[in-house]
Amino acid sequence: MKKLFTARHLKMRAGGAKCAVALARGFGARLIVLSVIMVGLIPISWPGYSQRDPNARCLLECHANPGFKREVAPGQFRALFVDYEQFKASVHGEKLCVDCHTDVTVIPHQRRPEQIHCLQCHYQGNVVGAPVSERPEKYKESVHGKAFERGDPNAPDCKNCHTVHSVRAHTDPLSPVYRVNIPKTCASCHVEIYTDYLEGVHGQALRNNVLESAVCSDCHREHDLFPPDDPRSSLHPQNVANTCARCHTDVSIMERRGVPVKQVEAFKKSFHGIAIEFGILKSAHCISCHEYHKILSSRDPRSPIHPLNLAQTCGQCHPNASSNVARGRFHIIPSDPDAGIVFWVYEFYRWLIIVMTSFFVLYIVLDLYGRWRHARRRPHG
Amino acid sequence: MADSEEQLTRELQRELEQELERPLDDAELRRIKELVRAQIEKELHAKSRAAKEKPQEAEEYFVRFSMNFCLQHLVLAIGVILLTITGLPIKFHDSAWAEFIFRHIWSLEVNRIIHRVGASLLMLVSVWHIGWLMTHAGRRELRELLPRVKDFWDFIAHVKFMLGLSPERPKFGRYSYSEKFEYWALVWGTAVMVISGLMLWFHRIALAYFPKYIFDVALQAHSGEALLAILALVTWHMYHAHFNPDVFPMNMTIFTGKISKKRMMEEHPLEYEQLIALSPPAPLPSEGEGGGVRGVG
Ligand code: HEC
Ligand code: HEC
Ligand code: HEC
Ligand code: HEC
Ligand code: HEC
Ligand code: HEC
Ligand code: HEC
Ligand code: HEC
Repeated sequence: MKKLFTARHLKMRAGGAKCAVALARGFGARLIVLSVIMVGLIPISWPGYSQRDPNARCLLECHANPGFKREVAPGQFRALFVDYEQFKASVHGEKLCVDCHTDVTVIPHQRRPEQIHCLQCHYQGNVVGAPVSERPEKYKESVHGKAFERGDPNAPDCKNCHTVHSVRAHTDPLSPVYRVNIPKTCASCHVEIYTDYLEGVHGQALRNNVLESAVCSDCHREHDLFPPDDPRSSLHPQNVANTCARCHTDVSIMERRGVPVKQVEAFKKSFHGIAIEFGILKSAHCISCHEYHKILSSRDPRSPIHPLNLAQTCGQCHPNASSNVARGRFHIIPSDPDAGIVFWVYEFYRWLIIVMTSFFVLYIVLDLYGRWRHARRRPHG
Repeated sequence: MADSEEQLTRELQRELEQELERPLDDAELRRIKELVRAQIEKELHAKSRAAKEKPQEAEEYFVRFSMNFCLQHLVLAIGVILLTITGLPIKFHDSAWAEFIFRHIWSLEVNRIIHRVGASLLMLVSVWHIGWLMTHAGRRELRELLPRVKDFWDFIAHVKFMLGLSPERPKFGRYSYSEKFEYWALVWGTAVMVISGLMLWFHRIALAYFPKYIFDVALQAHSGEALLAILALVTWHMYHAHFNPDVFPMNMTIFTGKISKKRMMEEHPLEYEQLIALSPPAPLPSEGEGGGVRGVG
């Protein structure tokens, strides 16, 4: 896995103790520090931490050394360096190394600590106060989690999206899950999609620092991420409209960007929308017509909804569609004056219904009244 | 009853005693009692038989609609009911009840099939009706159904009558203004529904010829006209055919083709007069023999 933020992690710093490590060789072998050769004895000051720091023991002896690594196979090394500056700046900066690495009781530890996982704290109902509002537990059921379980070497674990020791809140511009960085984070594995995405309106807008624009996780969710044919997926045909609706019905976002907001409502009222809602999945939903990563404005000639391409777009499902379909606006709400002639037909029927129904009811009341008068006048008639 | 029996017995006893100028003996008294009881029973029996036979006497009726016409109405009614129960949930797809129907009773796919069956019945009956209008009988009905100026004045007069401004109900012919109105509303409504419905049904073909907004117009017209028709049915039609005190709970004429003489005289007096004038004086139905029949043609 090519780390995206490696530059930052590998930032070298001068000073510090050097650990010459002799490591047990071979996969799975317990890490036994046979000898730790101290080259320089404890220096006076340590960049990033003081000696009184509770984590100092872990650091000064080994993990603050940028070159501290272990040979996992001949010629292959695994870095064991922890950038403590980054760590202190991370959301877990107040934690002790041993809060997470719980099996490390003596330092230096005698054997390789157990593999640990973020979910040991970030589960629903945990007592250490680890936030779970984004429901990271769902990761286990997601495509990624399942792939990871299968042993797919490319599948992401928490650390691929969050890093391990320099986890930052998603509001922090330095975080890999900060809105602007998310596409790049996903791109480390999904490169072609990233390039498509960058060409689309959402990618373009994000590049122009429109933070409200859609990033990968707005559409796909971040942890409960499922393939679209899974009904739990936010992009299952029946859920797509609601996923887009989060932003595309929000006047405060759309007005600023000059994008109309009524498409979702119009779609849900249209036959396509009704059909999708009640289970005719072959009907059209937003992305049948708009594409998904490379969503383009109707003004863009490459867009599937450009008037010149529309016949072909509808033609996926309606083979006879001609260029005629492009005449007239597409997403319309009949009760909205913008709908033109459709609005007038709607109004015509609305008033006709009101007038005629009142007439019918009035007539019936009158007729009953007439009969009653009559019956009273001639009680035996 | 026991009272009247006793009273009668006592009266008879007194009369006889006066006539014979002696008190009656027991045997004679018993005899009187028996006779009185038999007489009373006979009278009661006659009364109840009369009560039973009475409506039969009034059951003289006319044939208002031909079998053909009744069948047309029946098919139309079935079609419209199918269309209504499957159309409303589509129109009100946002509502909880529509959701309930589609999720638990029948799926949208099934709904669509039933809707199209209903539409086929409606179109079948339209074609049938148009064909029938070309026949001799049909042409005569059509002439009767054409709106005339008189219908307008009938309407005004009827409203006056309801308000008590005029003592007389206007006299209607074979079809009153309200029936004509309903007929022509149906013709118009069916035309709109069939044309717009066919377009949506065969959108695959229609998409080759029409721009998208035509479909939107068709959809609006379809749903607007449908709601109008349904509201007309549940107010106007239900009232005239069911809840109207004259016919409550149901006017069977459209199913049996028959209309009673009483209702004929009340509701279609002009037609009645015409018929009486035209037809040779039919032998009056004799009492107890059930109703006589008069043809309307
Ligand atoms: C918030 C919890 C947390 C804290 C605090 C933490 N770590 Fe970790 N650390 C982890 C996790 C999770 C992993 C496993 C990452 C993985 O899956 O490879 C890990 C892995 C490591 C590894 C690499 C192990 C290997 O086999 O690759 C080292 C070394 C390490 N931590 C050192 C430290 C040091 C030193 C500190 C204190 C400065 C520290 N950690 C604090 C969570 C933590
Ligand atoms: C020892 C338990 C523990 C482990 C293990 C742990 N965390 Fe945390 N995490 C916490 C706690 C407690 C907080 C809250 C810190 C605070 O608000 O000061 C937190 C906060 C966070 C936040 C910030 C959430 C927010 O809403 O501000 C993120 C992101 C996060 N953790 C990710 C991770 C990742 C990724 C891992 C694995 C590398 C991990 N955590 C492992 C306990 C843990
Ligand atoms: C595919 C990438 C990906 C993986 C894998 C992943 N996350 Fe996340 N995570 C994200 C993104 C993106 C966000 C930001 C969500 C947002 O913008 O609201 C996030 C947000 C979070 C948050 C809340 C952050 C905050 O600041 O409030 C926590 C906690 C968290 N993740 C924990 C985890 C844990 C634990 C795992 C592993 C089980 C994990 N994540 C795996 C992408 C990922
Ligand atoms: C470490 C690499 C990695 C990262 C980072 C990563 N993914 Fe993935 N992703 C994968 C792999 C591997 C699969 C294939 C899983 C499988 O085959 O079942 C996958 C599958 C998917 C799928 C399902 C594809 C399908 O065929 O249905 C989606 C959607 C997806 N990722 C979205 C994202 C998003 C969004 C992000 C960023 C938040 C992200 N990925 C980050 C490796 C990654
Ligand atoms: C506007 C919403 C949206 C955004 C933003 C978005 N995607 Fe997607 N993505 C979709 C939809 C919709 C699908 C396909 C669903 C389907 O096939 O029915 C999809 C499919 C995928 C797939 C499955 C492979 C494929 O091409 O079908 C992957 C992987 C993926 N997206 C990754 C990403 C990544 C990485 C990003 C960010 C760079 C991203 N997506 C941004 C909506 C989005
Ligand atoms: C996170 C919010 C968000 C989500 C989710 C989102 N969008 Fe957008 N979308 C935007 C913003 C913001 C813009 C305006 C971009 C700009 O300024 O050009 C936009 C623009 C568009 C445009 C171009 C409008 C124009 O006139 O240029 C289309 C089309 C579009 N989105 C479709 C979709 C579809 C389809 C989905 C669902 C698959 C979706 N969007 C999901 C925020 C979102
Ligand atoms: C993903 C497939 C798909 C695409 C793309 C698609 N449609 Fe449809 N469309 C359907 C389905 C399915 C139905 C319902 C068919 C049925 O009822 O038999 C339908 C129905 C219709 C109808 C008739 C129902 C109604 O009330 O509107 C029209 C008109 C229509 N589509 C127009 C279009 C136009 C115009 C486009 C292009 C902008 C388009 N469709 C794109 C699948 C699609
Ligand atoms: C059947 C095809 C179809 C479906 C389904 C569809 N759209 Fe559209 N959409 C179009 C067409 C065609 C346009 C072109 C603009 C117009 O004529 O109104 C458009 C325009 C838009 C626009 C304005 C962008 C522009 O450039 O004019 C947005 C935003 C949009 N759609 C969002 C959505 C969302 C969100 C959904 C799902 C809820 C959706 N659309 C579903 C066909 C579709």
